[in-house]
Parts: sequence; C-alpha cells; structure tokens
Amino acid sequence: MSYKIAIASTDEKWIDESFGSAKRFLIYEMTEDGYHKLEERIVNPGSNYSAQSGCKSDSGCESDSGCGTGSGCGGNQAASEKVLLVSDCRCIVCKKIGFNVRKQLERKAISSFDVELSIDEALEKISFYYSKIDKHQSLRGLRKE
Amino acid sequence: MAKLLDKQRYKCALGAMQTVQAISRAIPILHSGPGCAQKLSDSIGSSGYFSPNIFPCTSINEKDVVFGGVKKLETTIENALKVIDADLYVVLTGCIPEIVGDDTGEVVSHFEDAKKPVLYASTAGFKGNNYRGHEQVIDAIIEQYLEKTDEKEEGLVNLWADVPYQDLFWLGNIRELENLLKEIGLKPNTIFGYQRGLENIKTIPKAQFNLLVSPWVSVGNMKKMERKLGIPYLHYPTLPIGAFETSKFLREVGKFAGVDDQKVSKVIDDHENYYYYLIERYADLFLETRVMAKQFSVVADAQYALAITKFLVNDLGLVPAKQFVTDDTPKQFREAIRKEFENLNYGLKAEVAFETDSYKIHQEIKEHDYHGYPLILGSYYEKELAEELFGHYLNISWPVQDKVVLDDFYVGYTGGIRLIEDIYSVAVQRWN
Repeated sequence: MSYKIAIASTDEKWIDESFGSAKRFLIYEMTEDGYHKLEERIVNPGSNYSAQSGCKSDSGCESDSGCGTGSGCGGNQAASEKVLLVSDCRCIVCKKIGFNVRKQLERKAISSFDVELSIDEALEKISFYYSKIDKHQSLRGLRKE
Repeated sequence: MAKLLDKQRYKCALGAMQTVQAISRAIPILHSGPGCAQKLSDSIGSSGYFSPNIFPCTSINEKDVVFGGVKKLETTIENALKVIDADLYVVLTGCIPEIVGDDTGEVVSHFEDAKKPVLYASTAGFKGNNYRGHEQVIDAIIEQYLEKTDEKEEGLVNLWADVPYQDLFWLGNIRELENLLKEIGLKPNTIFGYQRGLENIKTIPKAQFNLLVSPWVSVGNMKKMERKLGIPYLHYPTLPIGAFETSKFLREVGKFAGVDDQKVSKVIDDHENYYYYLIERYADLFLETRVMAKQFSVVADAQYALAITKFLVNDLGLVPAKQFVTDDTPKQFREAIRKEFENLNYGLKAEVAFETDSYKIHQEIKEHDYHGYPLILGSYYEKELAEELFGHYLNISWPVQDKVVLDDFYVGYTGGIRLIEDIYSVAVQRWN
C-alpha cells in the first residue's frame, strides 16, 4: 500500500519548521520498497493558514508567527488552504503544530507528528509503525527494532 | 487470562492507582493514555486531596507510540515533583508504553536523587487484573524503597488484608483488624487509609513479622519481604468474620507472635460473650425457618467468597450451595482455596467454581435447586438475577451500586454482627 507523507523542512534533512511557518511541504511517497521524495508543494504566499472562512482580511492573522492557532477556537470552521494542500497525505511531520490545525487534520483522518528529528529517522519510524498496523501486527517491541 | 469484557468484576492492573491512592499523601503518575484514569476511577470514596481527575498523566498519543514517550514521561515526573505536594510518587505504566517498549524504569531511575521518593511499578493491563496490580505496587515499594534493618520492634506486626477500593470495606476492615491485634497486645502497622502513609512504610522493616489475611493476594509480597528484609510471615487465608473464625484467627496470630495464651483467651471470651448474647437475643428470628433462605451462594473475589461462606456455615448454620470465585485467582492457589471451602464445621463442604464468566455463573445459579428462594451475596450484577429468582440479595463485592460504605466493616466479631444485621434486614423486608 502506498501513501504520502508531508514534511516541513527547510534543508531537506531535518524537520525544523512548524506547520504554521512552513513555506513549503516536502511530499514523500511510501511504497512497499521504501520511500522517496515525490514533490514539493509550495504554500501560496497569499493564503492564510487559519481557516478559510475566518479572517481573510489583510489585517489580522496574516503573520507567520504561531502555529495555526490564529483565529480563536476555530472549532467548526472549514479547513485552511494549508491543510487542503496536504489533505491527500496520511500524516504530517513538522517541528510544532497548533491545536486547531491538528483538529482540522484529525477531521480528515490525517495524523500529525510534532518531532525534531532527521527526515530519514522520522520516515523510518513512521513507515515501520504503519506497516505494522496495516498488517494488523502487534506493536510489541516497536522501540527495539 | 480471562477473555471476557462483559460484566467485568475487576479492573486492569493499572487499577492499582487506587492502591497508591489509599496510601496517604502518595500519588500515582500515570504513563498511559488519557482515558485510563477516567475509566478506572470509581466514585466510591476516591475524591479528596488527590483524586483520579488530577493524577499526573503523560496522556500518550499516536506520536508517542511512533517516536517514544519517554521524554514526555520525564517532564511529567519532573513537573509533578514541582507542582504536587506529595510524600511518595509512584509511576504506573499502562498497556501502550509497555507494548511498544518505553523503558520506564530507566526514566524513573533519573529521579533517584529527587527530594521525594519516586518509584515505578509495571501495571500494564495485559499483565493481569488490579489484584495483580496491587501486588506490583507493594513489590515496587519493597524492591525500590525498603532496606533491611537489624533494629526490630517487639510486637510490631505489618498487617495486610484487602485490596483498597476494590473491596468496599477495605478501610473499616483493616482498622478493625488493627484493633483486634492491639487487644492481644500487638502493635499493628498498616500503610493504607487515614493517617497511614510514608512513615508507616518506613516502619515496615522493623516489624517482628508480616500478617497476611487473604487467600492469595500479596502472598508473593510476603515472600519477597521474607527474602529481602528477613521478615517472616503468617499467612492466614480467611478474612475472619464472626466469632468462630475471629477467635481462631486470634489464637493463631497469638501463637505465632508468642503472646500469652491466657491473654488471648481473655480477649476472646470477652468478645464471644457479647457476641453470643446478641445472637441469643435474636435466636427466635434466626430459628424461624421461613425468614432465611435454606441455601446460599456467594459470588465474589476469593477473599469474600471464602470468608462469607465460612461465616454463614460456621456461625449461622446455613447450608452452602455452589460458591463462585470471580477474581481470576492464579492457578497455583486454587487447590489450597478449594480445600479451605471444604474445611467447614458440621462436616459440611462447599463446592466452589473459579469462574469469571457471569453468564455461566448466572446459569448455574438459575439451574440449582435452592429448596426455595436463594440467598445470594454478590456484586451488583447479581441483583437482577436475585430478583428474577425471588431471592434475598446483598451487594458485598465490586461493582457496588446500591450501597454506600464509608468505614463500615464485616471483619471480626462486630463485623459479623453487622453482616447478620444486613442479611436479616434484607430478609425481614420481604415479610414486612
């Protein structure tokens, strides 16, 4: 089973960006034979990472600071453009991620992992984890393998 | 390992958080998912200074499964030490971190030099139920905290009985047992309940011996203390309820502790005189054959199934039908417990089933001929069944839904009288 993973990284080596500040996402494809980089998706500079129906105006939460918690609780709002950009991925890996964005992703059944690791290490761990659960195998000893 | 999810009569090993909570000013730190403490907490006297709602918890999620939850555990312990004023912190693990292999013991070892003791007990649900979890917590205290000492205190006895909170009467029972031991001149030391905490734990190694009142729970703990701390133990398998068993209990403990026979006999006589005075006064009620059921069944953990069966036969002269032990008793103890059920007065023997499947238990009770309506002492699950069979019913084992017990107890002479009051109150309500 192949699937995609979106990673927020500036140098293509380390996961070093938060979801909110990421200007692009690296998309990796995971197949039976391993993983490879598929493409890069550039975040539209005009887009707002908070929900589309939220503050679209020039003022307000245009800034890159924070990580997706721009517009209050945002609970029932539609997904932001940034979320839609990666909505075909199985999971998102970034340095930090805000509560609202995490909820938006969860609603689309996308997992988010906020870790600071090398891309290779993260991909290996994630692929091992998914391979186990896809085959309905026990996660016993996940750390040791 | 039991297979059933329906009508469970115990919790997973992480339920041992209640054992920790029963030690005053001790708090569990949970390395588990966020729902565990919520699911495991009962509203049976578990609120207060610490309650399951505020137990520090790593609340591990998918990320911690994939990348490891040890960092989160480390910060959770660190912060618990900062913000929670407790005397003892016990890290308990749930299933998830144990399955994926977080090295909790290693993380906890970083806190060896902390100002307050931080211990670790492995209480993953797949390792057993909360009876086993209770043992794990006590094991952790023995292994990681207690040290052997040559300083012994004459007459000091560590007393171990029920599993806190799992047993409704744990607090009242242990206090009453303490009182009985005091009366024969011993100094009981317990670690659970009001004003019993770390100081009592520190006193454990000085004891002359350990006294375990339970058919199987904590036998392993006693052996461990014997090995590590050199404390011998007396294993008394029956929770003494009523005059017959309590007198036997006091004699045996007195003999083991080297207490003067006459002193013990005097205490026993005083209690028995009053006990039988009460029984005598109500003899017309007890002898009125229509009031009480002819046969009874107890559906409870080994502790209560055995204790109540012995009491109802030896003290009240009732006839046992089949008894059901529902705590998933480890196989190595079953034979000894079965023998205890066969060791009743008047040459009576009680058949016992070690069964966790409520369907089978209820089926057997329905099919048995009780020669009239049955007397059923069990968990709340037996209430409906008893109603169906027009039986007398008393809720004495977990889960408890129709009884509030603050510090009531069934142990000892007084406890036996309390149990008689409860049982006969149920019976006379039918006729009035």
